[in-house]
Amino acid sequence: MSSAYSFDAIVVGAGPAGSSAALTMARAGLKVALVERGTFPGEKNMFGGVLHRLPSLEEVFPDFWERAPLERHIVKKGVTFMTGDSTFSTTIEAGNFDRPPYNGYTIFRPRFDRWLAEEAVKAGATLITRATVDELVIRNGQVAGVTILDRRGELTAPVVVAADGVLSFTAKKAGLRQPTFDPGQMAVGVKALIDMPREMIDDRFGLVRDQGFANEFVGGTGGVRGGGFLYTNYDSLSIGLVFHLGSLRTSGKTPYDLLNAFMEQPQVDKMIRGGRLQEYSAHVIPEGGYAMIPELVGDGIIVAGDAAALCNATGLNLEGINLASHSGVLAGKAVIAAHQAGDFSRRGLQVYRQLMDDSYVIKDLKLYRKAPHMLHNDRIYNEYPELVCGMMEYIYRIDGAPKENLSKLFLKTAREKVGLKNLAADAFSAWRAL
Amino acid sequence: MNIDEIFDFTSFTIDREPHIVLDPQVCVNCDNRGCTNSCPARCYTWSEEEKKMTFVHDGCLECGTCYVVCHRNAFTRWRYPRGGFGVAYRMT
Ligand SMILES: Cc1cc2nc3c(=O)[nH]c(=O)nc-3n(C[C@H](O)[C@H](O)[C@H](O)COP(=O)(O)OP(=O)(O)OC[C@H]3O[C@@H](n4cnc5c(N)ncnc54)[C@H](O)[C@@H]3O)c2cc1C
Ligand code: SF4
Ligand code: SF4
Repeated sequence: MSSAYSFDAIVVGAGPAGSSAALTMARAGLKVALVERGTFPGEKNMFGGVLHRLPSLEEVFPDFWERAPLERHIVKKGVTFMTGDSTFSTTIEAGNFDRPPYNGYTIFRPRFDRWLAEEAVKAGATLITRATVDELVIRNGQVAGVTILDRRGELTAPVVVAADGVLSFTAKKAGLRQPTFDPGQMAVGVKALIDMPREMIDDRFGLVRDQGFANEFVGGTGGVRGGGFLYTNYDSLSIGLVFHLGSLRTSGKTPYDLLNAFMEQPQVDKMIRGGRLQEYSAHVIPEGGYAMIPELVGDGIIVAGDAAALCNATGLNLEGINLASHSGVLAGKAVIAAHQAGDFSRRGLQVYRQLMDDSYVIKDLKLYRKAPHMLHNDRIYNEYPELVCGMMEYIYRIDGAPKENLSKLFLKTAREKVGLKNLAADAFSAWRAL
Repeated sequence: MNIDEIFDFTSFTIDREPHIVLDPQVCVNCDNRGCTNSCPARCYTWSEEEKKMTFVHDGCLECGTCYVVCHRNAFTRWRYPRGGFGVAYRMT
């Protein structure tokens, strides 16, 4: 590469954050490089499986939902409390969820990310794949480009958007993120993709047309803090577990053994029986919430998406793609404004910070800032599933003995399993967190 | 699912040049070795008899777990593979 490779902006990483940023800037006529280490965008990316609504992209493409490669739309959402051999589940199915604009879809990242990057290319961005960004080019104390591993020369631009995901070496090299991570703020997800005929999925989960089901699990992680998920695609199931790394590290247990045990749990086994393992994947998740957000701008650089720890994990939902894509659009807008003003310094890029503070991304993360703390309560993963399953089992068991008064029964079970003081404390912190 | 058969269900374009390089001396004195159980692809194996850590990068899912859990920074290199190499997901 020679200095001919100069752009108005360089985006590192063609995930949802990077492609949304590139798309926004390219539409405004900027000359943008979108740099991705995979052979195609999405090749390296996995996630649980539910794409929530993307208001920012719906603005960019009003017909977004018609164009994007989506799987089933979620009409049914469930939560399952789980112990070794029993489960208690609740589901909500709403007519509203079955009509456009749909509330969420299952997707595959290798398809979705590739499609979104191609849309950025259609808008005029230059996609450079098989290119792992190595170092930042610094000129006059300001980020001015990047180098690519194993390739000579550099790409230059007055501003770089770091959208390289949770470990963001780009943000690290610019001194914007902490040099090491706290395992207490991180989780890892492992996932098995299970092939299954479409009719079997429809019958088993009570779905018609392209309806989908998304279920979260509390318990079932062998005592390690975390949770499980099962989502329906057209003709496959996404099933997996998410573990807090602080807890996993000291547990001595392995993610794959726990995933196997989860899939063999009798009620889960019934859901996936007859399917065939198609792919296994894993990835870390920034779960520290608001407290984990790094500096969002530096001289000549902006951080977006997981690179900025923009993930909202409340326990019942994991939102990441929508936040990534929204922050990408705002990063793009900030770069456009910086080009108009001709100022790429930290001050010139500060408009990103303002746009973010006014957006639902930062507002939601602030609102849920206590959720990560609440999720670090071991009782959620052991005692509560036991409590709920134990109570429901008791209520439904008919063995000739007279039933106790329900609230009495609850208190009795709670006293045994959790302890009343803990119950009160947990209820209070849950209420404050949510 | 048997993790030893990871190449049967997940695709890789293996690079000769490892993207993660470990200083195994650091691991000898590690009091926790959280990497051995936390790695979702079982890339780390500690042999108690030989007091030796073995790291194999071939089936690495590039998930980042070891980078986060290692509290002694045992890595002389931790980066992503060169462009086009490493794990290749098709559907997930
Ligand atoms: C197990 C799991 C379950 C999840 N479930 C959900 C869910 O159900 N719903 C939801 O909305 N979110 C979910 N998330 C979160 C979501 O996946 C992320 O928030 C989202 O992918 C962030 O997008 P991003 O573009 O910021 O980063 P990424 O998607 O991580 O994209 C970063 C891109 O940068 C590339 N890259 C990295 N380094 C370099 C480099 N040096 N040079 C070139 N390219 C580079 C990568 O290859 C990648 O393509 C989940 C995450 C996990 C791990
Ligand atoms: S945690 Fe780090 S130092 Fe300890 S054994 Fe693992 S890689 Fe080595
Ligand atoms: S990145 Fe993930 S899969 Fe690769 S060695 Fe580290 S923990 Fe294992």
